[in-house]
Amino acid sequence: MNNENEFTGADILLKALKDQEVDTIFGYPGGAVLPIYDAIFGQNFLKHVLVRQEAGAVHAAEGYARSSGKVGVLLVTSGPGVTNVVTGLTDALMDSIPIVCISGQVPSHLIGTDAFQECDTTGITRPCTKHNYLVKDVTKLSETIHEAFEIASSGRPGPVLIDIPKDVQFAKSKYISKKDIRFREHRIKAGSKSVDKNFVEKLISHIKKSERPIFYVGGGCLNSGHQASQELIKLVKKTNIPITTTLHGLGCFPGEDKSSLGMLGMHGNYEANLAMNKCDLMINVGARFDDRVTGRLDAFSPDSIKFHIDIDQSSINKNVKVDFHTNTDITLTLKEINSFIDSNNIDFGDKDYSNWWGQINEWRKKECLHYEQGDEVIKPQHAISRLYELTKQKDTFVTTEVGQHQMWAAQYYKFSKPNRWITSGGLGTMGFGMPAAVGAQMANPESLVIDIAGEASFLMNIQEIATAVQYKLPIKIFILNNEYMGMVRQWQELLHGSRYSESYVDALPDFKKLAESFNAVGVRAKNISELDDTINEMISIDRPVIADIWVDKKENCFPMIPSGAAHHEMLLSKYDKENPENQEKGKVLV
Amino acid sequence: MSSTSVYPTPINAFKESKRSVLSVIVDNEPGILARIVGLFSGRGYNIEALNVTVVDVKKNLSRITIETLGEEKVISQIIAQLEKLVPVHSATNLANLSESYEAEICLVKIEFENQEQDQKILNYADIYRSRTVQKRQNIVVYEISGTSERINKFLDDLGTIGGIKVELVRSGPIGLGI
Ligand SMILES: Cc1ncc(C[n+]2csc(CCOP(=O)(O)OP(=O)(O)O)c2C)c(N)n1
Ligand SMILES: [Mg+2]
Repeated sequence: MNNENEFTGADILLKALKDQEVDTIFGYPGGAVLPIYDAIFGQNFLKHVLVRQEAGAVHAAEGYARSSGKVGVLLVTSGPGVTNVVTGLTDALMDSIPIVCISGQVPSHLIGTDAFQECDTTGITRPCTKHNYLVKDVTKLSETIHEAFEIASSGRPGPVLIDIPKDVQFAKSKYISKKDIRFREHRIKAGSKSVDKNFVEKLISHIKKSERPIFYVGGGCLNSGHQASQELIKLVKKTNIPITTTLHGLGCFPGEDKSSLGMLGMHGNYEANLAMNKCDLMINVGARFDDRVTGRLDAFSPDSIKFHIDIDQSSINKNVKVDFHTNTDITLTLKEINSFIDSNNIDFGDKDYSNWWGQINEWRKKECLHYEQGDEVIKPQHAISRLYELTKQKDTFVTTEVGQHQMWAAQYYKFSKPNRWITSGGLGTMGFGMPAAVGAQMANPESLVIDIAGEASFLMNIQEIATAVQYKLPIKIFILNNEYMGMVRQWQELLHGSRYSESYVDALPDFKKLAESFNAVGVRAKNISELDDTINEMISIDRPVIADIWVDKKENCFPMIPSGAAHHEMLLSKYDKENPENQEKGKVLV
Repeated sequence: MSSTSVYPTPINAFKESKRSVLSVIVDNEPGILARIVGLFSGRGYNIEALNVTVVDVKKNLSRITIETLGEEKVISQIIAQLEKLVPVHSATNLANLSESYEAEICLVKIEFENQEQDQKILNYADIYRSRTVQKRQNIVVYEISGTSERINKFLDDLGTIGGIKVELVRSGPIGLGI
């Protein structure tokens, strides 16, 4: 019997994706997803981007999601297809990025028999997804997909995986559209929708009383949407309170604004870390007191009253005990704070925290990001500063790999809008940046997308240049080439007596020729006189470009709070020596 | 089910360790137990005992009871982490309820050799009001229920009798807010 209202599992998947307004999917085919690829073949609403390794698909989906605010979607086959995305799923979980991963599975009747390309997908990915499913019954497929999108994008976002056995892709059932599905509330974990008025009033009264307040803003602000950042800007303007952001908070508040103290944490600004250490009121907006931010916990901001806005209840009091908290969405809460101030005519005008700002400006005089650019070898910091100056007028998205270059990018590239800065923070995944740039460029075809890379990280997912070339994605890979795993080398210098064990990146390819062999464009700057021209050339080319920027091999990333040290024990330059006792303790930390 | 791990366990977890019994209502779906057990092992928490059963067939709900050790801060974190799991409806620390009742069931098989031992066993069984499930020539099986503490005491007392062989199974505590 051929029922017109019945569709195969593969068609149901496509219908659901359309219903979810998905227009791009990153994927790689294989035996267990052939029915889905067959369904993709005959349609035109969904653009499939063929990556060169599944790791590329998952990071591209992350880049797509981060740069667009939408859910990123990927499709992989069973077995090795899935195991290749485990890193990216973990990355998305750590950094709260909404993605949905569809994986093929061997046919139901073969599950458990060690069939060809079978693996326990839900078992392997359980700890690295927000939720996952094995769909054994095609009648449950529509509902499962819609729930997966809802879970991925609501509350604290994260990765969700749907494993679909091949027979289920062929089996037929009715399609249930999104609007006909009623989600069960307990499964969605969307956070509270009502603003905690008491929290707001308490906060205002503490702001009035405080002498040394600070905003500490993290990726949660980004995930709450653009409006969160608008409300934050309003609130900072009204109160004149200094603001520091985490690595992921960069861009939620304009980096060049005078109220911004820049990034805090291990490689954060001196003034930001000192202000956190000495503040009497800390207003945490969607940050999670990560160890890279807090440094040694017992010395973390010892004298402050702490307010915490975070949609994830498990972030409250996990690492640092706070005095007041709310789990309501940041946009809603900030809006309420602003309107409370307006409707009660609260004027912070007389309370401009001038002593506090005076102190902060003293700390600023240290010029912790100062570097000396000589007239030969390019300083990596200078390369980023120039990249910023030469691209800031453009609509630019920046992704990064992981290492020193990533921290220099965070320090010297300034972001004025959210979602422009896409980096792997929680997991610190080398090889993230280039595929993420592919994803960001897919979501923003007209914009300039730059992956600020280290040569070692770039080698980890280098195959994705082919993807960029195939889809004519003019991404720019800006390599700060120091021939070292620079961040590893730095730690070895500081903590392991300069024994540079296995951190030299030998046998590097010629990146220019490499680009050419992929049909991309290669450019190179060997010394300072070539830097600006190289950057300008890179920007002007409307094709994928690899820019090989030769930088000082021995440069270290400062300021730095070594692991196990406290905020006020920052090292500002290579001339600062670490307290030996901390050094021994720090060695065992990461 | 006490577990030792090759990984270092967070020192904090044992600072002022307290026994807590957590009651978790979940959708009865594949993988839910693995999710919960994985959460505990992955984050270095302890499971001392675990009990899972469907409690509402119509709504497809199970109740999972977990006995765990940890200082208060850790227990709150465990609850928050449990509540983040998609199939979890609620997670409650029974100790935080104004009133709750706890019970455990234990089956004990005892092999004895002589009359004197038999008499002592009978005596304890009587004191603890345990029910005889089966009695053969030199084997007796008792069922005892109540708080875990009461069962521990019964077993301790049995242990004072020399020369007998004891085999047992315990359900782990279950509990309910009242
Ligand atoms: C997949 C992965 N493996 C290992 C590491 C550890 N690690 C952190 S930074 C780094 C070196 C990165 O070198 P490069 O990409 O050249 O960047 P640089 O620090 O030199 O700027 C390494 C090996 C990591 N973060 N990710
Ligand atoms: Mg390098």
